[in-house]
Amino acid sequence: MPYYIGDVIKEEKKLIARTPEKFRETGVEVRIDTRVEEVDEKAGEVRLAGGARLPYDILVLGTGTTPLMPGIPGEDREGVFTLKKFTDALRIKAWLREVPCRKAIIIGAGFIGMEMCEAIRNLGIETQLFHRGTLPVNRWDPEFSQVVLDELRMHQVEFVTDAETKAVEAGKEHRLRLVTNHGEAEADMILMAVGIRPEVTLAKQMGLPLGKTGAIRVNFSQKTPREGVYAVGDCCESFHRVSGRWVNIPLGDIANKQGRVAGRNIGGGAMIFPGIVGAQSFKVFDLEVAATGLDEREAAQSGFHPVSMLSWGNAIAGPMPGNTKLGLKLIADRATGKLLGAQAVGKAGAVSRINTLSAALWAGLTLDDVGYLDLAYAPPFGGSWDLIHIAAQALKRKL
Amino acid sequence: MGKRVVIIGAGAGGASVAAEAQRGAPSLSITMIEQRAQVSVAA
Repeated sequence: MPYYIGDVIKEEKKLIARTPEKFRETGVEVRIDTRVEEVDEKAGEVRLAGGARLPYDILVLGTGTTPLMPGIPGEDREGVFTLKKFTDALRIKAWLREVPCRKAIIIGAGFIGMEMCEAIRNLGIETQLFHRGTLPVNRWDPEFSQVVLDELRMHQVEFVTDAETKAVEAGKEHRLRLVTNHGEAEADMILMAVGIRPEVTLAKQMGLPLGKTGAIRVNFSQKTPREGVYAVGDCCESFHRVSGRWVNIPLGDIANKQGRVAGRNIGGGAMIFPGIVGAQSFKVFDLEVAATGLDEREAAQSGFHPVSMLSWGNAIAGPMPGNTKLGLKLIADRATGKLLGAQAVGKAGAVSRINTLSAALWAGLTLDDVGYLDLAYAPPFGGSWDLIHIAAQALKRKL
Repeated sequence: MGKRVVIIGAGAGGASVAAEAQRGAPSLSITMIEQRAQVSVAA
């Protein structure tokens, strides 16, 4: 959606994977603009806003997430947005067009905050980001978040650290004024991107067990402990194949797979969701940023003995024109030599390395395996020793 | 009539359930409920 707001994807139709009409053609009834008030399990009915009741034999919860808000006065003012649903993207885009928007404030430095910095800067709008920490994107270690921060600053995003937001008021020069512990700042729009949490209101009402993550507990078939009740996507947990723990990583690719597994089982098939390894990526301006598996803290919490090493190398073969620097950090278990996680940042080649290493994590490979993986070598794409090999061998020596 | 399936939420997860369940068992009576005005968006 940030790419739609930033005019990279121009047609909104291209964002809609499947319209209600298309679903109806296949025999699936779709009711949009319809809220579920309550699930009456005794009666086996879903109660809709307005009082209508819908009987079910099988119930699926795909309730997604809810954006977190800072909880400050004025956060519901016109011009203050969150970006969660497509309707939000439409509203933001309309606002940017209709209100002469010269300056935007983004609050929060996660994925959405990063992608929106790029989208808004690319529209020529002055951008200021307020973050409660000192570095952006805490999924990445400081060595890499510093590179992300440099990239933001290089593209004239003003990054305000250790910021506490206090209130949103009407502005003088711009529409809105944000009051913070570092003084006041004005802007024509404010995007709240401080995080999301699983939307589990209905699940709680039904008394379904939630995991430590606050998301709905499911088994490998996407079933909740309640007979005939499934959960899929951002509102439920996933099995992390590296840590062996149940986690909540709200990403659309995971939701697609879990949905297909639940659908197969509901349709009379037999399928399990094999879990995730925590692969994720984003792009900010000219930088690819990606990670997979565990960081050292998670690894230690899961009972491993993590060791790590950051290697800087080449995205493509060193002598090739257009070569850029690539940073790759590997985390491995001192006890078993197994790869536990990886992070990468660079102008090119970061995501492809992380995808490869995700497959390695999936298969439970050791650093010895990774150090001699057969990869698709050609100078425009990597060295004859790829940074993956170099980093794995270097970390192996440190075990 | 086949079993009645009610899916709450038409995002990536819910929409995938609907499509796959329908493919496997066309006799199912599937209803997907979405509180917003859009379904199944490629975010």
